[in-house]
Amino acid sequence: MKRFILKRLLISIPILIGITVIIFFMLNVVPGDPVALMMKEHISVDVVARVRAQMHLDDPAIVRYFRFLGGALHGDLGESYKLNRPVTSLILHAFPNTLVLALWAALFAWVVGIPAGILSAVKKYSLPDNLFMGFSLLGVSMPIFWSALLFQWGFAVRLGWLPVAGFGGWKFVIMPAIVLGWSSAGIIARLTRSSLLEVMGNDYIRTARAKGLHELPVIFGHALKNALLPVVTVMAIQVAGLLAGAVVTESVFNIPGVGRIAVDAIQARDMPLLQGAVLFETVLVILGNLAADILYAFIDPRIKVS
Amino acid sequence: MDTGLIFQRTHARKRWPAMLLSLGVILAGACAVGAGAAEKVLTMAYNEEPQTSDMQMNTNDYMIPLNVYDRLIECVTTAPGKSALVPGLATKWEVSKDGKVYTFHLRKGVKFQNGEELTAKDVVYTFDRMLDPATKALNTDILDFVAGAPERMAGKAPGTSGLKELDKYTVQITLENAFVPFLAIMASPQASILNEKFTRPLGGKYGQTAESTCGTGAFMMKEWVLNDHHTLVANPGYWRGRPQIDRFVLKIVKDAETMRLLFEAGEIDLFDCDFAVSQIPYFTASPKWSKQIVSGPRAGIYYYSFNQKLKPFDDVRVRKAFQMAIDRRQILEKMYYNQGQLENGILPVGLIDYNPAQPKIEYNPAMAKQLLAQAGYPNGVDMEIATIAGKGPQWQKMGEIVQAMVMKSGFRVKLAQMDEAAFFATRKEGKLPMYSNVWSADFNDPDNFFYTFFGPKGTVARSFNNLDPAVYAALDQGRSETNLAKRAKLYNDLEKKLIVDQAVWVPMFSMKHLYVVQPKVKKFVVPWNGWSDFPIYDARVQ
Amino acid sequence: MEEAEAKAPPASLLKDIVTAYRRNRLATLGAAVVVTLVLMAMFAPMLSPYDPFEIDLDLMTQAPSHAHWLGTDQFGRDLLTRIMFGTRISLWIGIVPTVLSMALGTALGLIGGFYGGWIDTAIMRLCDMVLAFPSLLLAMVVMYTLGASLVNIFIALAVVGWAGTARVVRAQVLSLREKEFVEAARAIGVRNRVIMVRHILPNCLPALIVLFTLGIPGAIMSEATLSFLGVGAQPPTPSWGLIITSGKEYLFSAPWIAIAPGVFILITVLAFNFMGDGFRDALDPHMKQ
Repeated sequence: MKRFILKRLLISIPILIGITVIIFFMLNVVPGDPVALMMKEHISVDVVARVRAQMHLDDPAIVRYFRFLGGALHGDLGESYKLNRPVTSLILHAFPNTLVLALWAALFAWVVGIPAGILSAVKKYSLPDNLFMGFSLLGVSMPIFWSALLFQWGFAVRLGWLPVAGFGGWKFVIMPAIVLGWSSAGIIARLTRSSLLEVMGNDYIRTARAKGLHELPVIFGHALKNALLPVVTVMAIQVAGLLAGAVVTESVFNIPGVGRIAVDAIQARDMPLLQGAVLFETVLVILGNLAADILYAFIDPRIKVS
Repeated sequence: MDTGLIFQRTHARKRWPAMLLSLGVILAGACAVGAGAAEKVLTMAYNEEPQTSDMQMNTNDYMIPLNVYDRLIECVTTAPGKSALVPGLATKWEVSKDGKVYTFHLRKGVKFQNGEELTAKDVVYTFDRMLDPATKALNTDILDFVAGAPERMAGKAPGTSGLKELDKYTVQITLENAFVPFLAIMASPQASILNEKFTRPLGGKYGQTAESTCGTGAFMMKEWVLNDHHTLVANPGYWRGRPQIDRFVLKIVKDAETMRLLFEAGEIDLFDCDFAVSQIPYFTASPKWSKQIVSGPRAGIYYYSFNQKLKPFDDVRVRKAFQMAIDRRQILEKMYYNQGQLENGILPVGLIDYNPAQPKIEYNPAMAKQLLAQAGYPNGVDMEIATIAGKGPQWQKMGEIVQAMVMKSGFRVKLAQMDEAAFFATRKEGKLPMYSNVWSADFNDPDNFFYTFFGPKGTVARSFNNLDPAVYAALDQGRSETNLAKRAKLYNDLEKKLIVDQAVWVPMFSMKHLYVVQPKVKKFVVPWNGWSDFPIYDARVQ
Repeated sequence: MEEAEAKAPPASLLKDIVTAYRRNRLATLGAAVVVTLVLMAMFAPMLSPYDPFEIDLDLMTQAPSHAHWLGTDQFGRDLLTRIMFGTRISLWIGIVPTVLSMALGTALGLIGGFYGGWIDTAIMRLCDMVLAFPSLLLAMVVMYTLGASLVNIFIALAVVGWAGTARVVRAQVLSLREKEFVEAARAIGVRNRVIMVRHILPNCLPALIVLFTLGIPGAIMSEATLSFLGVGAQPPTPSWGLIITSGKEYLFSAPWIAIAPGVFILITVLAFNFMGDGFRDALDPHMKQ
């Protein structure tokens, strides 16, 4: 097991380096000058030239890349061009916000998704089944920014129950968590349902039923454990995905998290900050996948970790 | 089924503690709200995180500096659209006969928020800091003409020779050449005064947190959550008297629609209609909001640029044709609901030396077509208009309307959306095709309009490329001409030449600035220059 | 038994699909909706008397009425017409990037899985890199690099999407590679390329069909999101995502501009999802009860 984890982590390093290369050279090719952008309407070419020289922005690309890489390997991701603050501290400050959002979204997905999936499987083809599956499909069929807008309009402006946007307390998390978690809830519900149906159709379950065992213990004792196996692994991947993918939700609801930082960094051509944000999110995804694989191996002893 | 019963049984047992807990939370919340009810709070939205309160490092976002610092001179809005320069941190000043030496007498007993008294040393330090290369300041152009500035910025001198401390409360600034707009510039937010004792030790870290910000202004920075909000509180020791507003919250909201939703939900107190021009009829027609609209004229001009280095606009006939191909009145009526007036020059109404007798540009597609043919484009011509993607839907909208309009005269417009960074980078190189924007006065002086767009560096950096040495000479002369009547004539003549002879841009209109305010905002005056940044000292909240 | 499985002739595949669809009403409904959309896209100019591009400032933001079933947008253009023309865009955006990404993914998955060794490792690492990179950000960076245009959206979405297909195809190839019929073909001397295309690829077809049908709605939603972030289609293209984004500021005064295209996206995505489910039911042996 340890060797497996170590090997996976080692493989991740070239992946991460590859990603920094992609970002670096893409941002170099894209037209855009972070200093001219900072000055906007009050541009002065002299000032731009002077500040660019001070920031070493006109050095050759290769030199700048290795300067960045050297720093990164020491844990120093440099300073944001636009915000003039160390990238690491900016991301560490923003991460808790993204984490809270993602965890609540995941919680919503599991607390709503799994029972919905179970109920749907048990009452196959009935009204609750159709309702739940409809709800799930809706979740994956609406663009997040659209559902976010509708939620904001309905609950915040029309009804006044919740704040429109921002971050501060539990009230601010409700809408974004639901908007973000809805599609995950849908996926979990459908997966739970299909997984449970598949397991319930298995021979040994049929045998147990034939023997006359009461339905309830049969389901919860045997079928569920097996059915939840794929669901659990998906859950681990989902959390990583939620953490990395809350970009739109954070933008619409004005949550100062890592996703927002990444989008702002692209728009501001803020190379160090973008590298930091993307690396951070990538590491989370890799860890999430790793956790999923480990969980899978633990729960199903038949699977060899190779 | 049985599953249902299981859920019910387990949950019923756990319900009571949860209910008690939530009841307690609600009660606690109510007490907190009750305690704060007497406080006068103004909440506003701001569409960009200023990232620093150091106004030397930020060229655009001045809401914080205008409220946390003061300047030697202040430019106040005296009446709608009117402004005046009044004493600020300086009680009086003298200008030498040759216009090069300015002597400022400071107000005595003004305290910074750290308790230190304002002295001439602070003023000299502040301006020298701007020119110090170690600061990497972006706003150095307000001090470009101070004697010794170029040497200081190049790192060749340890200080600035033109900045002198005569005694504890007197500062003398010597310019390299006479520069008439200098006093007006001293009133701009970039010229805010810092405290030497507080600022020097912080070095590059000054202004990045609430604790590292210190000014003499009406408000103090209390709390700053990056990308989320700023909280400022009233400065009880403010030399003009404590402001009526106790707390001022600035929420960072980058999206115009979210801003609008926040306003409708009552979470912000002021909504700047510049962020949603298309919603003006909604507000004016709404029974709830129509009485809450505050409007005022502003000294800003909407324009379309011409890049004389890109065909077809290298030919003055094509430029004049385009001027006649847009029905500006229709855009003003249909898109901006007649909230302004057409402009035909460089200066908008409200600016010193504004000339209402500028020859009017007419809408004449037939003549435009003729001119195009004369210029060698009998079958019309292709052109591009650039807009910024995702920012300011009104520019995009105007672009699409203009695209349709000028088709009749033979201009085939392609709309090129670029993201902001690409837009500004291309424009800086002088390569950006036509774009539209609004320029609001930084300070009330014609130089701020003429020089910005048609000075030697600005005309390239803004992609106009009107490379005319005669114009440069006239601009320099205007800067140093101390006789005000001669100065006015100089600018009027220059304006006529630029518009009528050279057709350097398409002046569109100047517009009123509309704000919608919550009922609790009792007094709010629209700033004369149409900025979205303004001091709130004079506003009143219930 | 294996021989018959290996060949998986198209005839039996089609039969499975039709049977499953007969049983699954939702899938049939989905197919019907998709067909309707395709027809709407093809015949849009004939279905509407209005021009989707002509601006009429006197008719701005009119509410739905007899003359304009979904009202007009902020430039006075009939919204329903815009949406109908937008169907073409959306279908192109759904199909082209999906085809591109699947072609790329299938090719790389086949090559990697079949040849193994360092080629496989290299392709898999590249896959990991693309999958680990937050996809929306990757698409944004590609769009910023290439510039915002429809063709570039195809490229950006293809770049982001190929890795998932590659993984699935590779897994299939690995499981099939050791089967007898492949060894037999090799023994006879059939060339690798032929084996890959003639024997292995058809067995991937079921999975590919499902991926394709489910990839289309994903691409449509991605473009809508990219438009929202400002890097999608350019005005005055009537892309659904762009119409919603431009309608955001009119949510109070003319909500139909932002709501109607969203409903269309919803219906389209649902339809493709139902179809995809139908295919999956038909072609996935596990689901046969």
